[in-house]
Amino acid sequence: MAQANGSAPEAAAPSTKGPAVIGINFGNTYASIAVLTKEGHADCIANEDGERQIACAVSFHGEEIYIGNQAKPQLVKNAENTIVGFRNLLGKKFSEIPKDQPITSAPVIQHPEQPDAAAYKVAILQPAPTPIAAPTPSVRSVAATPAASHLPTPRSEPTPAERVLTVTEVASIFLKSLVQSAQDFLGRKVEGAVIAIPSWFDESARAALEEAAKEAEIDVLQYLDEASAASLISVTSPAKTLDADRNTLLVDLGQSALSLSLLSIRHGLVYSIASSYDTSVNGEQIDVKLLKYFAKDFTKKTKIPLQVCPAKDKADQRAEAKLRLALEHTKRTISASSGAASCSVESMKDGMDFNTTVNRMRFDLECRSVYTAVVAAATRLLESVGFEPIHVDEIIYVGGSASLPGLDETFFTNGFPESVVTPFTEGSVLGGGSGDPTSLLARGCALQAKVLAGIPADQVEIREAFKRGSEHASVHATSKTLGIILPEDVSEGDAKAGDLGGQWVLGVPKETPLPYRRIVQFDCDLGEGTEGERKVGMDLWEVSEGVKVENIKQSKEEPEEGEEDEEEEEEEEEEIREKTLTKETQLGSLQLSCKHPIKEKGRWKTTVEVQFVVGHAGGVILTAREIHKDGKGEPTTLTIHPVSQS
Amino acid sequence: MASVIKLPIRAPPLPSSWSPTSNSKKTIGPLAKRTLLPVGPAYLAHVRRSVHNHSFEDHDRHLEEERKRHEELHGSGEEDDLGVGDEEETPDLLALDPKEWKKQDHYAVMGLSHLRYKATEDQIKIAHRKKVLKHHPDKKAGAAGQTNDDAFFKCIQKALEVLSNPERRRQFDSIDPYYMDMESETPSPAEAKKAVDKSSKEFFRIFAPIFEREARFSKTQPVPLLGEPNDGKDAVESFYDFWYNFDSWRSFEYMDKEVNEGSDNRDDKRYTEKKNKAERARRKKEDNARVRTLVDLALSVDPRIKRIKQEEKDAREAKKKGKGKMNGTATPKADELAEKKRLEEEAKKKEEEEKAAKKKEKQAAANAAKKARRAERAATEPNGA
Repeated sequence: MAQANGSAPEAAAPSTKGPAVIGINFGNTYASIAVLTKEGHADCIANEDGERQIACAVSFHGEEIYIGNQAKPQLVKNAENTIVGFRNLLGKKFSEIPKDQPITSAPVIQHPEQPDAAAYKVAILQPAPTPIAAPTPSVRSVAATPAASHLPTPRSEPTPAERVLTVTEVASIFLKSLVQSAQDFLGRKVEGAVIAIPSWFDESARAALEEAAKEAEIDVLQYLDEASAASLISVTSPAKTLDADRNTLLVDLGQSALSLSLLSIRHGLVYSIASSYDTSVNGEQIDVKLLKYFAKDFTKKTKIPLQVCPAKDKADQRAEAKLRLALEHTKRTISASSGAASCSVESMKDGMDFNTTVNRMRFDLECRSVYTAVVAAATRLLESVGFEPIHVDEIIYVGGSASLPGLDETFFTNGFPESVVTPFTEGSVLGGGSGDPTSLLARGCALQAKVLAGIPADQVEIREAFKRGSEHASVHATSKTLGIILPEDVSEGDAKAGDLGGQWVLGVPKETPLPYRRIVQFDCDLGEGTEGERKVGMDLWEVSEGVKVENIKQSKEEPEEGEEDEEEEEEEEEEIREKTLTKETQLGSLQLSCKHPIKEKGRWKTTVEVQFVVGHAGGVILTAREIHKDGKGEPTTLTIHPVSQS
Repeated sequence: MASVIKLPIRAPPLPSSWSPTSNSKKTIGPLAKRTLLPVGPAYLAHVRRSVHNHSFEDHDRHLEEERKRHEELHGSGEEDDLGVGDEEETPDLLALDPKEWKKQDHYAVMGLSHLRYKATEDQIKIAHRKKVLKHHPDKKAGAAGQTNDDAFFKCIQKALEVLSNPERRRQFDSIDPYYMDMESETPSPAEAKKAVDKSSKEFFRIFAPIFEREARFSKTQPVPLLGEPNDGKDAVESFYDFWYNFDSWRSFEYMDKEVNEGSDNRDDKRYTEKKNKAERARRKKEDNARVRTLVDLALSVDPRIKRIKQEEKDAREAKKKGKGKMNGTATPKADELAEKKRLEEEAKKKEEEEKAAKKKEKQAAANAAKKARRAERAATEPNGA
């Protein structure tokens, strides 16, 4: 695997214990936490309940507060005191929050004191103040009343009260519990955290989150864009077949929205070429489709009418809440195995139990429309920047709904070529693999926290560069692909290579941030002859990338003779798309004479190393040198002037 | 660090018609403004380059320096195993039966057979950890088809039990099977004589390792070792002196017969104990005798002894000869020395004589003065009285 441009080799940790930093993915429905292992890898950890996916829910029940997955069942009986979906409301004014959604949890209300602020009102039981301690027997004088009880005065009943919480307060309570879980796992105090935030978070949302983190006493090292966190996993543990320079499509299908990014990853440096955020496609739609499917199934089996999404009455509402909890399990089973998944709810409605199984095909059939909507959105995004699916080298999935294998399959059946590397083709989705969409963000954040914790405290300027809007982050990028052509005798060579007149070696792909360096090594055939100087020549070209579409008629196999079904087999046309390169500008050429050729099977050969360096202003330095067993030969250089800045 | 991408291509031979085109003075296409995501080690490296205005080469150099500095601070990053290393495990070793632990070579089980009695406590600890990591039954839980899974692990635990206790380790060191084998290979007097007669170097080749081996049993350390062919008389004598009075800590408890555990019979126990004690004493005596015969043998064939004797003889003869003819040219040095000595002695004598004469004179003068005073007193006394 090629290493990131200029990144340091993994230095040995100074102590056996790494820094006590964590990564937090704070989603709208689920959150996850990741810590660094002894080896320096990021690992998603489970909280005290053994949950790696911690539901973003806070429930108040009497004197108790339930946080996480324990709070979810409260949605059935105690919905009005259970708060969910609060992350997306961070920083929003009360007037900005849409009110048309069906209410399945504690409703958002106008804060009684602050103007235009969203809040939740929950009923709690205020614990009664502890009574004054009964005098201890040792001090009690003998003259005390004989009837005096030795037992302490019992606490009086807690009094019912109402508590008003702002969205920030709820977030703070939740974040605090996440950090506590990490602390319990690590066995020491958390020194810093990186929190992933969605790209659409505006200033007020950020400010609200910052306030919540401050209240929860978390030292936040960086609020990291979700796309950044996800790309870091791809950068640090890439698939073996991937080049260090690639275009990556990030698909984040969350419960509330779909966010897509086309990322340019060049030797570890990442930027977003294009991105989109779409609330009209989301994981909730999948849930709704499945809820309706199961409700219909229930009605069919029990003859009890059940209407969900939206529910008609209280009983339906309860049934829906129960079904939602069970659905979570069904979705996970479908993601994890190729077989059928069961869905069972006890006493769903009118005391009737519901028990069914759904297989992968049926499941995907229900969700098909959501899958295709995702792929269509992705294709639209690529088109907007002049990319074709064929130019995508890798797809990364983020979010619980993206772990459904049906989505990945839909990508491949809708124009994305087989060569695209996804976590599913790599097999890294399950078993805590590196591509697991549910824990990807948290792990990315933990790795970023490690990078930040490794910067010495005195290098303020470098620390500052990780803040938003740093001048170091703004760079120039190339707009055309650059590379060398090793000329070939066209008359000898086959016609395929004839397009470019030689062997193409990629130097600098388009959309590459500058400065940039790439070093490649390859073997050169030097021909058969015995006399004369042996040379390697190369032309530096700028090329444009295109796509060649070929329609290949696939004739089906001849039906075997004697068979009765002699339907007319239609010849199916299949589109074959291929990447093409067209020469545009020749920038120069370079010649290298070889002094250390090796004879192999009667032909001479040598190894050449070519280095492409593009300066931040666009000046190219092409260096070629021979590699032989004793070292490196004298370099030959070609310099192209920087682009004149207008 | 600069990473090199190796391409699986083989460039075609350069066509003869090709010639390098002159620099076209064109530049690459227009650049676009982009914003990097501030994430990952590559961005950190980018910022470092940008802040310090480094080129890629400068940055590489800087990183290399950092790495070296880091290495110096923390070592090479690998944990120091104090030279324990990894020894190969033969199938025989792995097939050991933990019930027969008394017969096993604990050092071999621990992978310390290159160190043996020289292994320190820390080394034993490290070696044990290494072995446990490899052979713990939990590690082998998945591998099916092995019924006798934890046998070797038990052997390892037994070995640790013995080697971690100084007393028990000393007992085992006393009868270390590896060295016991070597002891039985000590050459017989006839063999040794033959070998040494052939070449005096053989003596050192044979006996140096033997004495080095035996030295570990000595209560007093350091032990004088065999030494070199041209050692002086003193060194050789002190060597043999030490080894004839060799004080060994070697003991033979490890070879004791087990007291029959099942029997409560006190007499039985006592009987076995008594026997064991007698056996130990017998072995100890045998061992002492063995060392003595070894030293005897060494002494008898030591080429240095022969040489020293020869030298002494020569010296005596030379003296004799020197007496016979004083001005012989054969021993001018000895003559010279004798002359010098004689002269010195004479000078000394003279000096002494002179001293004596002076003393006498002084005494005489003092006596005379005394006499004179007495005479004076005698003369004046009656007058005063």
